[in-house]
Amino acid sequence: MSRKGSRTVVSLDGITKRFGDIVANDEVDFTLEAGTVHALLGENGSGKTTLMSVLYGLYDQDDGRIVVEGEGREFTSPRDAIDAGIGMIHQHFQLVEPMTVLQNVVLGQEPVDRGLVDEEGARAEIEALCDRYEFDVDQYLDTPVRDLDIGVKQRVEIVKSLYRGAEILVFDEPTAVLTPQEVEGLFDLMDELTKQGRSIVFITHKLDEAMEIADEITVLRDGEAVDTVDGDGTSKEELARMMVGREVLFDRQARDRTTGERIFEVEGLHVRGDRGLEQVTDVDAWAREGEILGIAGVQGNGQSELVQALTGLRPVESGRIRFAGDDITETSRRDRIERGIVYVPEDRQREGLVLEYDLVRNALLGNQTVAPFVDGWFVDWAAVRDHARDIVEEYDVEPPEPTARSASLSGGNQQKFVVGREINHAPQVLVASHPTRGVDIGSVEFIHNRLLELRSNGVAIVFVSSKLEEIQKLSDRIAVLYEGRVVDTVDPDDVTDQELGLLMTGNTLDGSDESLERRSDVRGDT
Amino acid sequence: MSDADSGRARDALDGAADRLLGATPVERVALALASTVTALLIGLVVVTAAGYDPLMFVNDMLYGAFGTERRLTITLRETSYFILAGVAVAVAFRTGVFNIGVQGQFIVGMLATTMTILWLTPFLPANRLGGVGLLLVGTLGGVAAGGAYGALPGVLKAYADANEIITTIMLNFIAIGVVFFLVDGPFRGEGESATRTASIPEYAELPPVLLDGSDFSILGLVATVGIAVLIYVLLTRTRAGYDMVTSGHQESAAIYSGVDAKRTIVRTMTISGMVAGVLGALFIVMHANAMPNANGINTYGFDAIAVSLLAANHPLGVIPAGALFGGLDAGGQYINVASDVPPQLIDGIVGLVVLFVAAPELFRMAAKRTGLGGDRR
Repeated sequence: MSRKGSRTVVSLDGITKRFGDIVANDEVDFTLEAGTVHALLGENGSGKTTLMSVLYGLYDQDDGRIVVEGEGREFTSPRDAIDAGIGMIHQHFQLVEPMTVLQNVVLGQEPVDRGLVDEEGARAEIEALCDRYEFDVDQYLDTPVRDLDIGVKQRVEIVKSLYRGAEILVFDEPTAVLTPQEVEGLFDLMDELTKQGRSIVFITHKLDEAMEIADEITVLRDGEAVDTVDGDGTSKEELARMMVGREVLFDRQARDRTTGERIFEVEGLHVRGDRGLEQVTDVDAWAREGEILGIAGVQGNGQSELVQALTGLRPVESGRIRFAGDDITETSRRDRIERGIVYVPEDRQREGLVLEYDLVRNALLGNQTVAPFVDGWFVDWAAVRDHARDIVEEYDVEPPEPTARSASLSGGNQQKFVVGREINHAPQVLVASHPTRGVDIGSVEFIHNRLLELRSNGVAIVFVSSKLEEIQKLSDRIAVLYEGRVVDTVDPDDVTDQELGLLMTGNTLDGSDESLERRSDVRGDT
Repeated sequence: MSDADSGRARDALDGAADRLLGATPVERVALALASTVTALLIGLVVVTAAGYDPLMFVNDMLYGAFGTERRLTITLRETSYFILAGVAVAVAFRTGVFNIGVQGQFIVGMLATTMTILWLTPFLPANRLGGVGLLLVGTLGGVAAGGAYGALPGVLKAYADANEIITTIMLNFIAIGVVFFLVDGPFRGEGESATRTASIPEYAELPPVLLDGSDFSILGLVATVGIAVLIYVLLTRTRAGYDMVTSGHQESAAIYSGVDAKRTIVRTMTISGMVAGVLGALFIVMHANAMPNANGINTYGFDAIAVSLLAANHPLGVIPAGALFGGLDAGGQYINVASDVPPQLIDGIVGLVVLFVAAPELFRMAAKRTGLGGDRR
């Protein structure tokens, strides 16, 4: 037992929460011990966030009891929960973008000196907090929040909670928006916080992360608590089984080699990023019909810019892009969509969906010039509605209601909808950027299978992901990007995690062994 | 305020915002009616306090708007203008472009219609048929000029990153100044002592149908409603409309879907300016018959911002909103001449109505922006 705490700080007894006919939490028991991290693990829609929203006073439970520090509590608003020492770091940050970090941290709790905000006092207090936890936030105190990286914004949220005296911190999917390095930083921070005696609830759907950081793991499925296990005494397989109720295969299935035409090809591609700096340097790559080209690399090594250039969203500095023999370097995004080059975007909320629209209107996004959804100048809304219904049914989108506003869907369901829309487009080429980001395990497998199915139907797929297991499972070839260059293109069957790791940090595998020869086979056109 | 208090206050605010955001169209109409009545009641208190007879005031107001066939035609005429101007504003606002330049586009459209008709008059037969030809070509001239004058700030925004709010406001002044100069000088009608062009021939005017009255033709109102419906169909049923509205909601998603954001801005401003151009043409062929002094023209283009807000920027909602403004305007005009209530008081009451009726919509927009109400996750 790795349980550090001996004192229960939060105990939820038989919490039930219903939304209409849907039971989001069904008599869930949950306890948090002092000075520990307790992971709440489950697929999207399993009721993790709902349970914590009950604790945080955002929802009133229909049944059950909340006990904090041995005292039964009724929270009617987050304010009550904050007063009881509970802080929640939401998936979508609750920060005022144009205001500075300092102003954001003290907002609503401003220290007052003779009727004025005591900015110096606040500054001293925040700096002391940052010192204690070795936060780097203090150097940004006068920077507007909108200018900060996502990782820093998250730390601002944490400082905000600590500033309000939170002893119990609830992190709602904190790693979803972070790069692998930032995730490590966050975990170090969580360690530090628990060492100082604070207690953490960590909401996640990622098995590895739960196992790495949590002392205890409670698995939720369909609103019920399946079991609570020790972080050290469990295995990935056990957790996965509890989450989805069946064994999930992580293995790569053997597949036939592909021999299709090179339908999608780039040559000597140079692309500049937003700040005018070259982000993609002299990239040669291609995908054949019926092949998945994986693009691996640590985030920020040119993947975004490359994908935007491929899909027509970013102009090319020099080099050529060819599709089915045509030079499409200068063609517009719409032209490429019409040719059958579709794109599952990196950021579903910014690009993939119009959040204010319902799913029907979102089903038309990207399909504005595609039959049967348009007839001349006019949109055939009946056809679009059928399309939306098909996607929702086939991809198991919750709620299964095409008239639901897309902003009201959870992240995973939004992603399923976007993936479904793009795949149902009958593409020639699919560019997919992190298509399983933020999606639960069951859906990940589903999306993987759809991609493999497209591949067998002869579609060329360019697949960008930061998850190595996924890249290795799906790709026929893997191109590794480092600082905008393709370091090497390798065969997933012949490359180890360690070798990929080396490539991703810019090293070559020169002179290692005979695997080089095999790689050159892959590189050549067979 | 203690924390618990502010928490409760926030909850109350949240509840109120929920109510506003969740209002059904029927509730919104009821809200608008209730707001109008409340504003008029408060206005009446002011009228009474200022020493005038409130019953007389109400009577005059209603009589001025609906009392006779002639008064009714004034209401309908003003309604047409407010609807057209409101649609011009609404189409831009819906698409996320803030066209404050409807007034300028309207004035340019007026001049273009007048001059097109005057120049073509010698070439067409002076009869009903020639009149219809002049009327159509003149309207086209107004629409083209209004569209071009709207496209200009659109191009500036799309390709030179110039804020359209500022450029459209400035272009209003430029339109007024240049049109005044032209009408005062080169285009002034022969023998005109005032600053105005020659009048268009009577057979080129829009003929009154059914209702006989003051410079109004039901044909104008029908065309106006037709344009509102046309714009509604454009925005909700066509590809181009979907592109435009999507750009307004979320530009990044529109670009992702293949929309050319720059062309969409120019297109939106052009369409908005074209509707303002229709207003200019209608104003000439139904009412003014000659281009007057640009300085003295009613500010439909500015009032239309309130009309559009009142209609939640919905092209069909602009129809009842425009009718409300038309009625108040006609009633106010009558009170101005028929009673000794000062015009400032009438303007004040109209202002109250605007404030009351538009306020729920403003709060609704504010609630949406600040994230009050709705789903909390």
